[in-house]
Amino acid sequence: MDFESKYEVSRVATFIRSNKFKRVALQFPDELLKDSTRVVGALRNALFGLCCKGDDNEVKDIGLYVMADTTYGSCCVDEVGASHINADCVIHYGHTCLSPTTKLPAFFVFGKAPINASNCAKHLCDYASSTTKPVMVLFGLEYEHALKDIIIEASASASARCKLHFADVMSQAMIPSPSPTKGSEMNGDAATTTYRIGGLFWSLNEGHTMDDYSLCFIGPDNSAFANIVLTFNACEIVRYNATENEMLTDTSQQRRILKRRYYLVEKAKDAEIVGILVGTLGVAGYLSMIHQIKEMITRAGKKAYTLVMGRPNPSKLANFPECNVFIYISCAQTALLDSKDFLAPVITPFEAILAFNRGSEWTGKYIMEFQELAAVGMDMMPMPRKEARFSFLKGAYIEDPDFQQDMNGGDEDGVVSLVNSESALQERGKDDKMMVKGSARSGLEFFASRSFQGLDMNSNSNGPEPFIIGRTGKASGYDNETSKSTT
Amino acid sequence: MTTTPSKKLGPSAAARYLLLRPTNSHPVRNLMRFTNINDDFSFPSEREYIKDQKVENCGKHEREGGKKKRTICGKAAVETSISGEQVHPNQKVTGTCYPGRLIPGTWHTATAFCLRLDKMVKFTAEELRRIMDYKHNIRNMSVIAHVDHGKSTLTDSLVAAAGIIAQEVAGDVRMTDTRADEAERGITIKSTGISLYYEMTDAALKSFKGERNGNEYLINLIDSPGHVDFSSEVTAALRITDGALVVVDCIEGVCVQTETVLRQALGERIRPVLTVNKMDRCFLELQVDGEEAYQTFQRVIENANVIMATYEDPLLGDVMVYPEKGTVAFSAGLHGWAFTLTNFAKMYASKFGVDESKMMERLWGENFFDPKTKKWTTKSTGSPTCKRGFVQFCYEPIKQIINTCMNDQKDQLWPMLTKLGVTMKSDEKELMGKALMKRVMQTWLPAATALLEMMIFHLPSPHTAQRYRVENLYEGPLDDMYANAIRNCDPDGPLMLYVSKMIPASDKGRFFAFGRVFAGKISTGLKVRIMGPNYVPGEKKDLYVKSVQRTVIWMGKKQETVEDVPCGNTVALVGLDQFITKNATLTNEKEVDAHPIRAMKFSVSPVVRVAVQCKVASDLPKLVEGLKRLAKSDPMVVCTIEESGEHIIAGAGELHLEICLKDLQDDFMGGAEIVVSDPVVSFRETVLEKSSRTVMSKSPNKHNRLYMEARPMEDGLAEAIDEGRVGPRDDPKIRGKILSEEFGWDKDLAKKIWCFGPETTGPNMVVDMCKGVQYLNEIKDSVVAGFQWASKEGALAEENMRGICFEVCDVVLHADAIHRGGGQVIPTARRVIYASQLTAKPRLLEPVYLVEIQAPEQALGGIYSVLNQRRGHVFEEMQRPGTPLYNIKAYLPVVESFGFSGALRASTSGQAFPQCVFDHWDMMGSDPLEVGSQANTLVLQIRKRKGLKEQMTPLSDFEDKL
Repeated sequence: MDFESKYEVSRVATFIRSNKFKRVALQFPDELLKDSTRVVGALRNALFGLCCKGDDNEVKDIGLYVMADTTYGSCCVDEVGASHINADCVIHYGHTCLSPTTKLPAFFVFGKAPINASNCAKHLCDYASSTTKPVMVLFGLEYEHALKDIIIEASASASARCKLHFADVMSQAMIPSPSPTKGSEMNGDAATTTYRIGGLFWSLNEGHTMDDYSLCFIGPDNSAFANIVLTFNACEIVRYNATENEMLTDTSQQRRILKRRYYLVEKAKDAEIVGILVGTLGVAGYLSMIHQIKEMITRAGKKAYTLVMGRPNPSKLANFPECNVFIYISCAQTALLDSKDFLAPVITPFEAILAFNRGSEWTGKYIMEFQELAAVGMDMMPMPRKEARFSFLKGAYIEDPDFQQDMNGGDEDGVVSLVNSESALQERGKDDKMMVKGSARSGLEFFASRSFQGLDMNSNSNGPEPFIIGRTGKASGYDNETSKSTT
Repeated sequence: MTTTPSKKLGPSAAARYLLLRPTNSHPVRNLMRFTNINDDFSFPSEREYIKDQKVENCGKHEREGGKKKRTICGKAAVETSISGEQVHPNQKVTGTCYPGRLIPGTWHTATAFCLRLDKMVKFTAEELRRIMDYKHNIRNMSVIAHVDHGKSTLTDSLVAAAGIIAQEVAGDVRMTDTRADEAERGITIKSTGISLYYEMTDAALKSFKGERNGNEYLINLIDSPGHVDFSSEVTAALRITDGALVVVDCIEGVCVQTETVLRQALGERIRPVLTVNKMDRCFLELQVDGEEAYQTFQRVIENANVIMATYEDPLLGDVMVYPEKGTVAFSAGLHGWAFTLTNFAKMYASKFGVDESKMMERLWGENFFDPKTKKWTTKSTGSPTCKRGFVQFCYEPIKQIINTCMNDQKDQLWPMLTKLGVTMKSDEKELMGKALMKRVMQTWLPAATALLEMMIFHLPSPHTAQRYRVENLYEGPLDDMYANAIRNCDPDGPLMLYVSKMIPASDKGRFFAFGRVFAGKISTGLKVRIMGPNYVPGEKKDLYVKSVQRTVIWMGKKQETVEDVPCGNTVALVGLDQFITKNATLTNEKEVDAHPIRAMKFSVSPVVRVAVQCKVASDLPKLVEGLKRLAKSDPMVVCTIEESGEHIIAGAGELHLEICLKDLQDDFMGGAEIVVSDPVVSFRETVLEKSSRTVMSKSPNKHNRLYMEARPMEDGLAEAIDEGRVGPRDDPKIRGKILSEEFGWDKDLAKKIWCFGPETTGPNMVVDMCKGVQYLNEIKDSVVAGFQWASKEGALAEENMRGICFEVCDVVLHADAIHRGGGQVIPTARRVIYASQLTAKPRLLEPVYLVEIQAPEQALGGIYSVLNQRRGHVFEEMQRPGTPLYNIKAYLPVVESFGFSGALRASTSGQAFPQCVFDHWDMMGSDPLEVGSQANTLVLQIRKRKGLKEQMTPLSDFEDKL
């Protein structure tokens, strides 16, 4: 495919020019980084081409900066990174979640993945005729360029025309507005409901819900698709794989994800200490989300710690073994982290609301976007606790211990429990400390129950220790080790 | 022929209901209760047993008062009646029942009986409450036996004679109609408890040595189910009783379940008395002569005594039973009569001019009497008239009476009865044959009198029992005020109450907390401290403070609210169910120092699991709520959630699960449909040998290295950990002693156990074998965390590990603390544990049932072939002395046990009936790492079910090279 059109150089140039941006950050994901210099070159040429007479200086003043290795998911706009160079706007290349930005305007270049439009249209028509429900066609943004062709091809078949509905793509240019609109709400006239997901939006007439539709997704099996499967888990969903030119109807693996998430929610309910992982500093509303979640956790009688660690990985998270669950606050498409390598489960804010708001039920409804979530979270008032909580992991009632303390002031809590646990531990003797470690309720308590309490100052011998020769060599294999392995 | 029964027992005089009990051949729970029996069907006598009732038509569902019910009719096939009137074979039986229990076309044994209310004891709640204060006059006892040894039949006869019912119910014509919903609940109540009232005469109490307040006795009796799958119910019953009536079939003798429950009873320090039941079979069916019968009884008693002696407890003293001491009764539950040697000793003592106890001794054992010489000898003289005392004075007279009755020789009968001091009512004199015999025997040797007197004399009162039971019961120090209050059964002491069971109440979703007050008093409105099973004194986990809404006692089928209930009694509490899962210890709000009462130990474990999901996704909240309730309603069932998000129900056996699922769907989910997976069995992962080499894993930053080896634990050590003999909470010295003496451990090594796992108590451990490693203490917590994680999800199929000892051989750590934190060490510990597991010849362990089958000889072939097909093997085959029956013991993998009962029935034409109990974990021979082996296929199946990567992670992913 033509380089210019793939990176939409002229459109980007127009966008920059028309908005008169001076400092522009170009954000590339790792896999496109190799093209970045060419893109900058092309872009600069295009900018020169655009300018009229005498504007050369102006164009020369435009700074183009390449940003790579984003701290969080590469699908979101790295606003913090862009602020380092005081950028006016960000041009985002590659796969994106189109999450709204907080303050910087952004322009998204989706890229153009090859697709066989006629083949795709044929499959769509076949599928449409095989199902009784109308079909809503969603797609990966990289196929947006071929959408027109597909629609034309598909409309050739009369039967499919009335049944196939295509979602629209949000504008590639994003200008953050001070009052972000809430998603999934009445859109102007009350007759339609608008759905938004992953940069797509579509409207349904009143009286219709997504349950009445079948979904067809064009694109690879990535997080965008997983998102759609989770959000519209009640719909029948098929996926058209553009690289293999085939329609995949079996989505049992994706359905499994939903059940797995359900398990994670149940597990989270048992958590005492919750780590809030800040997974974005760009997506609009992230800060209020963090506050909201924090408040909710405290209300549930649990302890919350906020952690900022970039992209989480098992060894980073294992540095906080006291956390029983982590809530990953990030854009919708990076939020689903489920690897068995994590010591503690990582859940999304929506799942956290389910887990920590007593009385909320798993209804199958699944929300990923902050804006919608904020609305839901506000609605859910904590129910008075009439009943002890039943834990499905233990198969028994478990009360969150702070429940009874809530009434008599929880401030001294940490200190009191620390004292308690310490005295309890002393009674049982040193050796048992770690073997019978109960679940701690705060980081402080967790540390108190650790077997290692720092250097042992009261060691038995008062005399000076003899001189010890340490290891020599490199950490990848000390001298004594290499000799051991060779012999 | 006799009068028409309906005339004799009008509906106004009797509450009529029909209990349908499934035969062993069909797994339907418990008792089936019919109400609204049509008028054209009526019962000829107080108690009626209709055998093999075929349910022909389950009728159509109707709704009545918001409840589904259905009319059901069936036919009686075989007649047996107590007082003479015949139930015609094929007589139509109609009634209503509630859905979900009966299957058309199948055979059930029906126990139909009309309790004559005028015979039962009518009480007001106040009167009953009054007796509850006399702690010396209370007997809490359970009836335990093998399946089908006549437990419920015997209990029925006791209830009929001495059951306490509420005053106002008596004579209520519409009782059965209006209480339809209660009848349904009655099923559970029945297995919960019945209070009996018995007033002893002064004469009878003459020889009673213990303390007493007056002659009135309150007997709280708990009838428990006999099937192994429900033996958790027995455990719950034993906890709150002090004595047990062990029922043994005189022909079948002591069976596996008898032994199991007896062992449990003695473990709880429950004093047993024995009744040799089904005596009628000796006289009627088998026609054995006296000496042979004696030998049979003697053997049964001896067998029972062998078991009791094995599990003897010094504090409980001699628990063996002796007919000559009156701790053995002989009963015919079906015919409603029973005797102990006391009955006969009393009769003959005056005649021979010796005291009763002397006479009792002569009536059992090697004591012979020759009426010719009128001399007692200790050996048979060989003279034909010289017979054993028991035969001469007990067996033969009964036999004579029975034969006379059966032959209708009434002219001979009346003088004999007069001599025995038995008077019959005039209408009873008109009875014939079997009916006459039953009535005569019931009048002469009423079962209730013999059994109740035996209980009152030989079973301990709460006051006596708690003296020695306190050690078993109380977890805390045995000299604190709570222990003392329990020990003395002190009604003024602090409250100590153990909730052993949750009983579903009539309003859906609510439960009564049923238990026993061991000390103090529980009263309505009292604020109590609820200590759950995971409560640790001094902590706040699993602890609630709530008020008791109502204190309830049962009178017959009716609950009565009372002000308070003192110690020594059983009680049901309303308003605590939302804080108690299955059991708990209650004490007063202020008693913060109290320790809980020890948790019950079950003899069965939930090894069979199914995954359930709702058919309609939106029913999920109903399912969740239903599972919660199910978990409460049954002491054994465990409702959990799998990693894959599936809801799991685990039960003791196939039958148990079937019942649970039925309850879940019908009762707890309001009929919402559920989809149930095939039964799933959980496996364990273990190792066969020591790791072939020391394996090493590097931390993510490559700066830390852990070296480990895995080895199998010594034989029996995993079991010792399961039983709690070895565990994390032990004193290290004691633990070291056990490990070195029993398992040959090095004493120093025993001190170096870092932890147990999974869940900090499981049967795997980490042992530190390093020498002189710097900073080792620092990473201990991290290694432990990694181990807990890994031992819960083994490397093969993410099943729990079992019986693996991991040895930390060496550790290399980075000098900077920041580089050897948890983040580096925890994942590494997990990886190195997996690597050492995989290098130590990993194997799968599968759960194995111990199966006991009783069957006649001709069925043996079928049994063997079914067992062979299912990888089972017989390890014991024994003929029951004196019977054509064989007792077979076999091991059968749980995986193969699904449908086993059915297959066995089919191949033995219903003659064999298995009892399966989880016994042990058995190692599967094949190598799970070898592609295509049986174990490998199994591992892949499990992985697929769990939604894991199809192939196991290779060793190279866990092990690193320098």
